[in-house]
Amino acid sequence: MDFMKGRTSPDNYFEDFEIGQVIAHARGKTVTEMDNVLLTNLVMNTADGHFNEHRMNRQNSIAGFNTRIVYGGISFSIVIGLAAQDTGEHVLEERGMDKIRLRAPVHHGDTLYSFTEVLDKSDSDVADAGIIRFKHYGVNQDDKLVYDGERTVLMQRRPK
Amino acid sequence: MNDIVADLKARAQPWRRGNSYEDFTKGQTFRHHWGRTITASDNVLFATLTLHYNPLYTNADYARSRGFSDLVVCPLLLFNTVFGLSVEDLSEIGGPFLGVDQLTYQRPVIVGETVYANSEVIDRRETESRPGYGIVTWRTQGVTADGDVLLVYRRANLVRKRKPVSG
Repeated sequence: MDFMKGRTSPDNYFEDFEIGQVIAHARGKTVTEMDNVLLTNLVMNTADGHFNEHRMNRQNSIAGFNTRIVYGGISFSIVIGLAAQDTGEHVLEERGMDKIRLRAPVHHGDTLYSFTEVLDKSDSDVADAGIIRFKHYGVNQDDKLVYDGERTVLMQRRPK
Repeated sequence: MNDIVADLKARAQPWRRGNSYEDFTKGQTFRHHWGRTITASDNVLFATLTLHYNPLYTNADYARSRGFSDLVVCPLLLFNTVFGLSVEDLSEIGGPFLGVDQLTYQRPVIVGETVYANSEVIDRRETESRPGYGIVTWRTQGVTADGDVLLVYRRANLVRKRKPVSG
């Protein structure tokens, strides 16, 4: 795999993570109408509360629910994505997720930031990789928690 | 021309989609519509828009060097596709989705594979905090046409009850 030498980060292999470590990831992302409507429609989520502004305006019920809401699966995929260069570049297999909770609605124009806590590390049956369990947190521009959830991965060990 | 719209609205019968709380019973199963072939274009679009920088999803040289025949499908795209296919049956007439638990990926999926979604109702209960809604919990699977299980998870949602007939 010489062609990949130097093309991924040197400091995010299995050995580099410690239980209890908390990471603030470098970038945020403003979730646009393009992100939400494109990805919601791409995965064929048919709930039009994510892509029918007219109906949501007319419904006019609780503040924050009278406009399109970003589909939660997209919000938390972006939160995990914002954490992915640091905690996923050397992932060989995503093994699972658990305790996924959407704490507050996300709207077009909201900005998401991502934090990660390392919950657990263990050996695996794959020689060059180990298991890490992360907890990812999504926070918006007002420092409000919008997402938290666990993710377990098979992470490559640093090549000898 | 407005007469045409008024006439349509007067004569059209709504073709309803989705299920209400009363439509679910414990043990009930669903074979969700359509299935979806996950293409390389879907995968690269999803991985790049969500900033999911693992080259397994966007660099075929790298994916092949790890023993895969082509780009690996970003597992979050697999999850969202299975979830998306289940929405009309489970939660389109709903409220917010409350959470997903115990999600496991059974094996990596390669671009070009086709996924189908199935669900079973595992719990259904009233909630005092939200009159007009109940909480339904499902176990959903993403499977291939051959029945190969790709992922499994549990999801709970507020689901709206039928509105009482007015008048």
